[in-house]
Amino acid sequence: MNPKQPLVRMENIQKRFGKVRALKGVDFEVYDQEVVGLLGDNGAGKSTLIKILSGVYRPDGGTIYFQGEKVDINSPEEARKLGIETVHQDLSLIEKMSVARNFFLGKEPTKKIGPLEILDLKKMNRECMIGLKQIGIELRSPTEFVSTLSGGERQAIAIGRAAYFGARILILDEPLRNLSIREQRNTLNHIQEARNKGSSVIFITHNVHHVCPVADRIVLLENGEKLGEVKAGELTPEEIAECIATGQMIKVN
Amino acid sequence: MLIIQNQEIAHHQNEGIRSKWTFEELRKIPEFGALIAFLALFIFFAICAPRFFSLRNITSLLTIIAELGIMTVGISFLMIGGEIDLSVSSAYATAGFVFVTLANIFTFPLGSLLAFIVALLVSLLIGFVNSRVVLRGGIPSFIATLGMMMFLRGILLGITGGRSISYAGDSLVPSLLTGIMAYRFRPSHFWFIAIVVVFSFILNHTVFGNRVFATGGKKLAAYTMGVNVNQVKTACFMISSVLAGLSGVIAISRFSLANVSFGQGMELEAIAASVIGGTLMTGGYGSIIGAALGAGIMGMVRTGLVMAGVPSYWYNAFVGIILVIAAVVNLKLRSTILGE
Repeated sequence: MNPKQPLVRMENIQKRFGKVRALKGVDFEVYDQEVVGLLGDNGAGKSTLIKILSGVYRPDGGTIYFQGEKVDINSPEEARKLGIETVHQDLSLIEKMSVARNFFLGKEPTKKIGPLEILDLKKMNRECMIGLKQIGIELRSPTEFVSTLSGGERQAIAIGRAAYFGARILILDEPLRNLSIREQRNTLNHIQEARNKGSSVIFITHNVHHVCPVADRIVLLENGEKLGEVKAGELTPEEIAECIATGQMIKVN
Repeated sequence: MLIIQNQEIAHHQNEGIRSKWTFEELRKIPEFGALIAFLALFIFFAICAPRFFSLRNITSLLTIIAELGIMTVGISFLMIGGEIDLSVSSAYATAGFVFVTLANIFTFPLGSLLAFIVALLVSLLIGFVNSRVVLRGGIPSFIATLGMMMFLRGILLGITGGRSISYAGDSLVPSLLTGIMAYRFRPSHFWFIAIVVVFSFILNHTVFGNRVFATGGKKLAAYTMGVNVNQVKTACFMISSVLAGLSGVIAISRFSLANVSFGQGMELEAIAASVIGGTLMTGGYGSIIGAALGAGIMGMVRTGLVMAGVPSYWYNAFVGIILVIAAVVNLKLRSTILGE
């Protein structure tokens, strides 16, 4: 693949909810093994944009290219088939199910017993522990219910799950929200780990200090439009925060 | 190293392979409360009610439990999937009426079998319509199925004018479903057990079952993980109504008579049995074996009270108490598992 060609390219994406124009024609691209910070104030359209990429919403206009080819992403199922794994703000974990059952939800491994195709629970339990261990997460038991875990553990499972399935693009919506300082640091490590394993990461946040330590590039959204973008180190976090606050890009020399 | 890890993991498993039958492990299973209640009531009635613990009584008890239980299995599946179905009692009566009416018309060989199949198809259709109204119309299933319950009951009343219909078809399906066998066992007892085994297996050991839990537990999260939640819910609605229909055909075959008030109020009994069995009304958690035990508890209370000399009028009062106690106990048990 041409390294200059983006892994995914979203062109002129539009989305309205009733009379509200949430996205007014946004261009957004992600390259191979890149961590992109998607930054903007509340209501800027960050979540809407990534929900279109992850198949939760359908855009009202615009085109999505995946590895240079035009694609329609009609459901989260289709997005996952392309290798787009998303960790939504509410984590997409089901509290009343075990860790292993959550881990493989939507991509459950099965085994055949005669004509019956049944869940391979043993494999689910084993693989989920191994998969989580690979990004440094030790759990007590794969059959433990998610409701018994801390916020940081849940975040780790959600990221570990996406990494396990070899995400081409890992989308994280506000991954550091409600985490302790140590959990935040662990989560940032998991993000870098996933990138080193070959995933591209889209990191959505409204806090510039969260994303600056890991992002290669930061895209700023404002009011449903792209305000601009900066490469790592071009602006200080304070300058970027200023851009968001004023809604104007500082000229980069 | 990897082998050692795997052994460690295998040690922790209580799903797939069960490690230890300790009390701590046992009370983590969702049907634990119902099992204890079932055994306690059984022992209670065996002591207090003469002839309760006799083969003759146990088989007649099983007949009642099987009919309520089959319906309870269906509604539990749906409740775990996050919806409710009040129209099961009407699906029960409708399927029974369709069966009797058609079996009386189909005088050719295997006529009752064809009538039976049509009755089940009609039940499936009722579930499908329920699912469309809920999913397309976007209204709560409580309202949608309340409407369906009243609508179907009204249709039955309107068509029959309140008159009962006697069964005059061939005896094939009635004897296969509920004909009397040795020691007054009936095939329905074994159908019930088979249904419990099959649906418990589907819920716990198939991809579909995993997605039923997920859809009922947190619909949006399940959707974002690629689960087709509407498909799952549609299937659950259809399972609920087809099992209710099957239960209705069994009951009507046993009485050889279809009456308009047939099964009225049974939807609440099935929901009560389901909740006693540990199923969460808000979805995402429950057990089919628990549902069967819940139906067993309801059946035992009904006949046990009468045999203990309590007028049958008191039945609802007892069920009410048991339901509330069971709901509280199940909540406590659940919170130790879910850590809430």
